[in-house]
Amino acid sequence: MRRRRIGPFVLLLSAMLTAPLQSTAYAGVIGTEQYLATLDRQQALQRIDAVLAREEVRERLVALGVDPEDAIERAAALSDAELLALAENLETLPAGGDLLGLLGVVFVVLLVLELVGVTNIFNKI
Amino acid sequence: MAPTNGLRWACRSLALVFLALAGCAGAPRFEAPLDSTIELRDVPFFPQTDYQCGPAALATILSYEGVPVTPDDLTAAVYIEGLRGSLQAELLAATRRHGLVPYTLERRPEALFAALESGKPVLVLQNLGFDRFPVWHYAVVVGYDAERETVLLRSGTEHRRKERLGRFLKSWRRGDYWAFVTADPANPPKSAKADRWIRALADAERVLPRTTMSSAYAAARARWPDDPLVLYASAVHDGANGRWEDSARGYLALLAIEPRHAAARNNLANMLAEGGCIESALREAKLALATIDASSPIREAIEDTVASMERLAGENAEEPPHCAALSAVPPPAAERS
Repeated sequence: MRRRRIGPFVLLLSAMLTAPLQSTAYAGVIGTEQYLATLDRQQALQRIDAVLAREEVRERLVALGVDPEDAIERAAALSDAELLALAENLETLPAGGDLLGLLGVVFVVLLVLELVGVTNIFNKI
Repeated sequence: MAPTNGLRWACRSLALVFLALAGCAGAPRFEAPLDSTIELRDVPFFPQTDYQCGPAALATILSYEGVPVTPDDLTAAVYIEGLRGSLQAELLAATRRHGLVPYTLERRPEALFAALESGKPVLVLQNLGFDRFPVWHYAVVVGYDAERETVLLRSGTEHRRKERLGRFLKSWRRGDYWAFVTADPANPPKSAKADRWIRALADAERVLPRTTMSSAYAAARARWPDDPLVLYASAVHDGANGRWEDSARGYLALLAIEPRHAAARNNLANMLAEGGCIESALREAKLALATIDASSPIREAIEDTVASMERLAGENAEEPPHCAALSAVPPPAAERS
């Protein structure tokens, strides 16, 4: 429920944040980000979705435990291309975090060696 | 856990490990990247706590650029509890929020060592596990020992971790050779390439203050005075900030180098119109339309420009005198339709 209610405000906020960049008396100027996107056809096709993607990314961050206020600022600092990548597959992208995971791998290997009888580390402890 | 369950679990894990090993054989040997030893000793160190290698590595490179932050300050900006880690894109975004430009390196070892040699610590993504069983980790490369062929890192809880070159390159390759450095917006890294730097600036534009961006583009122009993309982005920035004449001159310089640059000519038309040079604007807009491919995604924007210039041309007659000095090199005659 809470997420639904702040949604419109976030959209408004992102519109306010991006609006000044396009403010020129003649709207026909092709901006740098837009021009760069045309060099990459796939991105050009997806460009129109950037505003939606920002909202999508913000919601996913909140769902993964990020503070809602922080999530707004975090989503606002991402480029169009980054937003689209995150909106598509945020959960499966590399999330650099731990060396504890590495210890997990080592533990598994040791455990296997133990179980198949190659080592006897755990008996000695 | 019952013993049989444990055994089954262990066997499955073992199978997984072997599968992963099969997937990562044959890393290419990379010959001595640098002839001499280099170490950036002044790079600070923040030992990481649980899962916090993202904030720790980022604090390391930001502090080195003079931003006073600790990993704790960055946790709210990059850490994701649900993933127990930090995403690459968010490290870049947080860098922008601290007033610096993140510059991602080309995905090859030479780029990393060139950045290091130019005095930049490099934040890298390593996969310490296997392709199919990844253990993602961020660390900061601060040096290379040519004699021992070891890479020196601030990593995890180790202030000066030494990794053999081959071993480091394997783990980094499993992270798809992803790496970035940070730089002051007005001081692009010595090893930077013009187009990559402009992309980095454009991505930071929505976050950094306008005055900062203005000096950033001025610095980029000083560094790469003839680069088309630098001229383009800089002119767009001038135009968006009310400096139509500077902007127009930027596009003129670009069109002198690339007369077929339709996007630049389209934007020039808009700037000329802003300066009251409607007749010239209409001429440039039509030339832009004549040089653009039918299938180009920017064709529609150019058609819109032509339409609005035609509307304006009906209202205004005389061009102010300053317009005469702002005419562009036309596109080659053969390529006009």
